[in-house]
Amino acid sequence: MPNYIPEIHQATLPNGMNLLGVEYARAPWLSLTFMAKRGSETDPPGKAGVADWAAELLTLGSAGRSQLQLAQDIEARGASLSGRSGFDATLISLEGLAEDFEEHLATLAEIVQTPAFPEDEFLLIRERRRAELVQQLQDPREMASLRYLRLFFGDSPYGHPAPGDLRTLDALSLADLQGFYQREFTPGTSTLVAVGMVEFPTLVREAGRLWGNFRGGGPASPAFTAPPDKVCSPGIYLLDRPDLTQSEIRVGHLGLPRSHPDYFPLKLVNYILGEGGFSSRLMTRIRSDLGFTYGIRSSFSFRRAPGPFIISTFTPAANTAAVVQEIGRVVRDLRQQGLTSQELEEAQSYYVGHFPLGLENPGGISRLLLSIDLFDLGRDYLQGYCEQIRGVSLKTAAQSAQEHLHPESLVILVMGPAARYAEALQELGAVQFLEAS
Amino acid sequence: MTPSPKFAPAAWQPGIEMVQETLDNGLTLLVLPDRSLPIVSLQLHYQVGSRNELPGITGISHLFEHLMFRGTETRGPEEFSRILQSRGGEINAFTTRDHTSYFENLPSEHLELGLELEADRLLHLKLDNDTFAPELQVVISERKLRSVDSPLGLVEEELFAAAYTQHPYQWPVIGWDQDLRHLSLKDCLAYYRSHYHPGKLTVVIAGDADPGQARDLVARHFGAIPNPGAPATHPFSEPPQRGERRAVVKKVSQVEALLAGYHVVDMGHPDYYPLQLLATILTGGRASRFHQEFVRPGKAASLEVELAPLPFSAQDPDLLVVVAVAAPGSPLAALEEEVWQSLERLRRDGVESLELARAKKLLRSQMVKSLAHNFFRGLLAGLFHLKTGDASRANRILASFEAVSEADILRVAQTYLRPDNRTVVTLQPVSPEESASLGPLA
Repeated sequence: MPNYIPEIHQATLPNGMNLLGVEYARAPWLSLTFMAKRGSETDPPGKAGVADWAAELLTLGSAGRSQLQLAQDIEARGASLSGRSGFDATLISLEGLAEDFEEHLATLAEIVQTPAFPEDEFLLIRERRRAELVQQLQDPREMASLRYLRLFFGDSPYGHPAPGDLRTLDALSLADLQGFYQREFTPGTSTLVAVGMVEFPTLVREAGRLWGNFRGGGPASPAFTAPPDKVCSPGIYLLDRPDLTQSEIRVGHLGLPRSHPDYFPLKLVNYILGEGGFSSRLMTRIRSDLGFTYGIRSSFSFRRAPGPFIISTFTPAANTAAVVQEIGRVVRDLRQQGLTSQELEEAQSYYVGHFPLGLENPGGISRLLLSIDLFDLGRDYLQGYCEQIRGVSLKTAAQSAQEHLHPESLVILVMGPAARYAEALQELGAVQFLEAS
Repeated sequence: MTPSPKFAPAAWQPGIEMVQETLDNGLTLLVLPDRSLPIVSLQLHYQVGSRNELPGITGISHLFEHLMFRGTETRGPEEFSRILQSRGGEINAFTTRDHTSYFENLPSEHLELGLELEADRLLHLKLDNDTFAPELQVVISERKLRSVDSPLGLVEEELFAAAYTQHPYQWPVIGWDQDLRHLSLKDCLAYYRSHYHPGKLTVVIAGDADPGQARDLVARHFGAIPNPGAPATHPFSEPPQRGERRAVVKKVSQVEALLAGYHVVDMGHPDYYPLQLLATILTGGRASRFHQEFVRPGKAASLEVELAPLPFSAQDPDLLVVVAVAAPGSPLAALEEEVWQSLERLRRDGVESLELARAKKLLRSQMVKSLAHNFFRGLLAGLFHLKTGDASRANRILASFEAVSEADILRVAQTYLRPDNRTVVTLQPVSPEESASLGPLA
């Protein structure tokens, strides 16, 4: 089979904005994303949600079209528009049939460049968010994950939920959202990514016409790259939910930034620990051997600044202490005893073999391009990816496990019917009860 | 500049090339070649789902799906997943009301390994109490996750239990808690013998594979497996509903919500297409009726009209379900009344031509996007074959949506969205104390 890895095309528009594109032939589709490389980490203290609401508000009407008109026009072409912000970046995406390429590109330009910031839509967003957040807290898994981030990062920029926080919704103003847009939507720190059935020269020509004069605001906030000043002290934290039948368990510590040279070895170590499904040690031990859970996984959130490393699972209440204890044991074993060459080879061949599956659809390719751009990974990243994976030695991987896994400083959150296991957990270490809010 | 044909949207053909064969033992093979990436989606769809269960053994189909990963005479528990995953594969399985499906999305060089391992677990599955007992506990935990502790899980179970009085769609795929606790290894082995054989198996190979070679590989690994013949079954049907049914679920909750189900049609019925368009007109996208009437102005926290999308629509007549969550602090009863009024207006006045055109383009667009996935193409062909006996229907979806008229929409709205054809279950929030006084959740 000829080289199937797509070529990444790049151009710089007259205003300095970066343009990345992949020509895609499997279906007549187009995925367009404008990325401002600042996100929810810039939300002011006590105002969680500013970046994300600003992104949504952009999609709810422009200077020339009301929210209804915009929705009707976009959906009449079968396309979909979304605006959202996460940590490190804000994405405004429009995807649809490639036959409407010019209309899609022009509509996205209109949305990003000529916002209306309608007051009535802002007030409606607030009420919709209130309802969504109340609903989200209904789901024990979501609630535990959100609570863990707050517990772990506290007031630092990664500690609040990007979509907003029920306790502080009313503190956000329309001016906060406009301020975010005016500061962060600026060509020098923005990129337009296009993956679709469009030739790149056509894209460059049309993007130059529609985006080349965009001046934006600025100066953008300095990129947030530092580790937090302080994180939560290690220990066991309990959030009592007597109405639940199972416990939600989150266990973790501070991870690494995406730019860390140990990214590839640690990715492989984490596959072996808890990312590799039934191949992972956590799944083998806690699901297959003990039958204590339906699922368990570990993940490193690699961001511009160090993100969290978190192991997530749930278990019927009676198993809670045993699961917490086993998680600690599995992490400790991997750190102290290292990994086997067979485990490493399997992890490597997983990532190498799996690589082409990520190139099947435009959305997947688009996500790759966004992270290549956001983290400056280089336009040859896809071509060199498999070599990077294969190049990790057993020694490097073992060193990486030793250096970056910290079983002695785990922050453990357990949410569930605490009366049924608090005593058993106390035998594992000091336990603190958290307030319900 | 004239684009090269490779990048000319108008030149693109949506048709899926299919090569279908039946082996002597009854196994159906569908090969869907696509040589542009070195990957393949291998899918095994067994014609067994919760519809084949009986009261007392509900959940056994899904439990059995788990047991298929627990080792064979020569391979240990979960080794199946480990081997294929270590080649880069995405391995998983899912059970529905109508079928149990196993899939491996793999680098195409490992297709034969996938087939060999699938044949091994079909022929030589090794089950004993050491593997059975922990897996049963895993499934009981999964039930708690999906049904008991999930916000609307029990409400949905109650909806199907009330809407279907005779058809097996009345019980959940995951099974009732009581039944799960009493399932035995012996039950599972008997179930395996009746339902896991080539006569009930559709194998799909979608992606980088040559049809002739793929056929030889399947014949080599599956051709000699005997077909004991299917047990006698009779078609199920649910009698027409003769009046609205209502039920209440009380649970600790921050929100009031309701699920309302209308009996509609099966996957092969021509009315499926206008019904899916109707659901899209109501809640597909931000310009949709219910989004504009209820969600945008904050009258509902969320409001969706759901009819399982192709190819996941049911083999027998399904429910079209309205899921409404009231905005915090506003009463559910008022929202419910307004939703019924809105539906009545639609049943009286029909829809506008622009609304229908938008819904058609939205569904066409979603389908075109999905057709880029070998996995999805395989599911379309395999599940149309399994549930309707005709895989080629997958290639008529776009035309079937296109052919729907405004009159069709009005007709299906009047035929199916009748209050007498409706079952409504509401979620009523209670305090933890009151919840405890109602007995254990299961």
